[in-house]
Amino acid sequence: MTRVFYVASREFLATVATKGFVIGLLIAPALILLGVALVPRLLALREAPSIDGEIAIVDPTGEVAAGLRAHLDPAAVAGRRGELVERVLSATELPEQVRRLASGVGRGAADEVMQTALGSVPHLEVSVLPVGVDVEREKTTLIPDDDVDGRLALVIVHGNATTLARAPDPAPAGRYEAAAGRYEAAAGTYDLFVRRGLDNRIISEIRSGLRDAIIDARVRTAGLNRNLVENLTRVRPPPSVVVTAEEERSRSGAFDQVLPIAFMILLMVSVMTGGQSLLTNTVEEKSNRVVEVLLAAVSPLELMTGKILGQMAVGFVVLGVYIAMGLAALASFALFGLIDAWLIGYLLIFYVITYLIIGSMMAAVGSAVSELREAQALMTPFMLLLSAPWMFWWYVAANPDSTFSLVLSFIPPMNGFVILVRLASFSPPPAWQVWLSITVGVLEVFGALWVAAKVFRVGLLMHGKPPNLATLVRWVRMA
Amino acid sequence: MGTDAAIDVRRVTKSFGAVQAVRDLDLTVPRGGLYGFIGPNGAGKTTTLRMIMSILLPDSGELSVLGQRSALEAKDRIGYLPEERGIYRRMRVGAFLTFMARLKGTAGPAVAGRVRSLLERVDLPDVEHKRCEELSKGMLQKVQLAATLIGEPDLLILDEPFSGIDPVNMRLLRNIVLEEHRRGATIVFSTHVMVQAEEICDHIVMMHGGRKVLDESLTDIRGRHDPRTIRFEPLDPDADAGPPLAGVRGVERVTRDAGAYRIDLVDGTDPAGVMRDVTAAVAAARIELQRPTLEDVFVGIATGVKEPAA
Repeated sequence: MTRVFYVASREFLATVATKGFVIGLLIAPALILLGVALVPRLLALREAPSIDGEIAIVDPTGEVAAGLRAHLDPAAVAGRRGELVERVLSATELPEQVRRLASGVGRGAADEVMQTALGSVPHLEVSVLPVGVDVEREKTTLIPDDDVDGRLALVIVHGNATTLARAPDPAPAGRYEAAAGRYEAAAGTYDLFVRRGLDNRIISEIRSGLRDAIIDARVRTAGLNRNLVENLTRVRPPPSVVVTAEEERSRSGAFDQVLPIAFMILLMVSVMTGGQSLLTNTVEEKSNRVVEVLLAAVSPLELMTGKILGQMAVGFVVLGVYIAMGLAALASFALFGLIDAWLIGYLLIFYVITYLIIGSMMAAVGSAVSELREAQALMTPFMLLLSAPWMFWWYVAANPDSTFSLVLSFIPPMNGFVILVRLASFSPPPAWQVWLSITVGVLEVFGALWVAAKVFRVGLLMHGKPPNLATLVRWVRMA
Repeated sequence: MGTDAAIDVRRVTKSFGAVQAVRDLDLTVPRGGLYGFIGPNGAGKTTTLRMIMSILLPDSGELSVLGQRSALEAKDRIGYLPEERGIYRRMRVGAFLTFMARLKGTAGPAVAGRVRSLLERVDLPDVEHKRCEELSKGMLQKVQLAATLIGEPDLLILDEPFSGIDPVNMRLLRNIVLEEHRRGATIVFSTHVMVQAEEICDHIVMMHGGRKVLDESLTDIRGRHDPRTIRFEPLDPDADAGPPLAGVRGVERVTRDAGAYRIDLVDGTDPAGVMRDVTAAVAAARIELQRPTLEDVFVGIATGVKEPAA
């Protein structure tokens, strides 16, 4: 056991005490932090230029142009953006603590981000053209010349844009039912011609103004009050509260979506960091012939066990650093309570199980080949199995109780990923499923270690033609 | 199986697929012995040594090493220098030797001193803090030898220890091997360069085609293989000494060999009598009885052993 410890220690230190590992470990969180801190500022440096110009409109209805002009008024545009910021900050999906923080310290920043996203408030003048105007000739005014502030867009409103079709059935009783029943739908719309290179945000603003003006006209035609209709159709979604025997706790929809994938990524990164290093180091030790020197001092089983444990410790470092960083981030936003401690416990359990399965296979493959590129062919089946959670995680997170999710929870080596996604989802699986998955995983660990030990013993001293899967099976029988 | 021997091998066989690498090998190496495994490449030497080390398991037969049923139970007392020697290139020399010492069960503060003294012994006193990748190939080979000796082994198994070593370091290595033998260690080493075995060993095991074809002390080998060749240098190098030498009784054949003559004797002839008659026939500058080398012995055995079909 002492020898296993020494092999594991060397394996651990040889991997961890390198600049490459430290940089690799910290680069992901550093990039995220940099992204959060710098990207909005970098974006702000490239603010879209202010746009001034004319929007020409042919409006046979006589009802749309005024609405468009009002919508594009700079004061109205600025007002709407302010409302949007308010709405984002008061969104019920955001945890209370984040909302408070954002509305206090971050209000200015939010306005800045909005300004960056939507550009400066444009100054657009709406000019109404006579109905019989030559449209083709007017289109030519959109072809750019040196006058950058010239005509930006030409809108041709259809004559039937605001009229409503008659409903065939007699109107039922009641004021609002009557209005809804008399009319079905308006078929008319508008044509929009724009100059080349016009900013998409301006086009969206024009479309939004036209839509708003046309709807307003239609609602008026129908004899309805638009404010009333909007108020009647708006229901502010309250946060859902999860009721358990112990407590009632508000759920965060956004958090519920992020948590499963975050746990899956954590598991994948930690397992693959250790597993990949194990493969690389084993191939290296074999190819530079140090392995026979080691076998003079330790048995093949001791060597393999030490290497697997050493790299498992590497994975624990990765896991520990990222969990600590995640918890620190949650604590700084006072969101610590959103994570259950048992979830982290299960993450550690499934890390050990999944790593030991993958690590055993990596050790076996590493011992069987002489070069890394030879390992690729043998690793393909394992990598395909490992890619399955990436394909299905979204479905599993959205349908944690489906039969498909249930079945995947018991198929190693992906069961660890699937059950973790389910555990972190809005509907965690019952305890028996979790522990059955753990039992299946543990059995698989013993099987994987048994096979790996056989291949490892034979493969370590084999050189020459790289083996295929059939050869590995023969080695298992031989050893 | 006897436990007095350092190594006891009984009817051991090992195959790799269709190739039988070792066939029905019986071998006993007594404690304190200095054994040379000789034979051409592919003779089964390395496979035998790996089975003794329990790195490979035999298909059949039994082994005991230092009184244990497996070398795994006695690894701390065995120093093994494999033919394909490797090293952790990015490790520092001192750290590598310390690691090997720990694997050999040597721990504690004594390890540092042992590492330093071994590095001095292999004439590398200043490399402890250097990375292995900074050393030359010859220096690395000496570091590997130091790693083999780190546990003060009772049994030293060296697989082709002299390959790729320059004459100066070869002498150093030979001296270390002999020192370890004097210390009381049992030494087994393999080589396909038979002169080296002849210079160092007191017992030879010769392998050919996976079989043991010779297992004798060097003295017995020399005694058993009678000298049948005389090397003769005439006093007058320009004289044609061939005909008078060929006329001596008991001479089978005379061959000119770079200013000297090789005289092969008829079987059963007394070499002393022939030497007396030869010097009487032609004035001699130098005459000597040539003993058969291990190579001669091996060639004689190998040509007489019909290799079985694999």
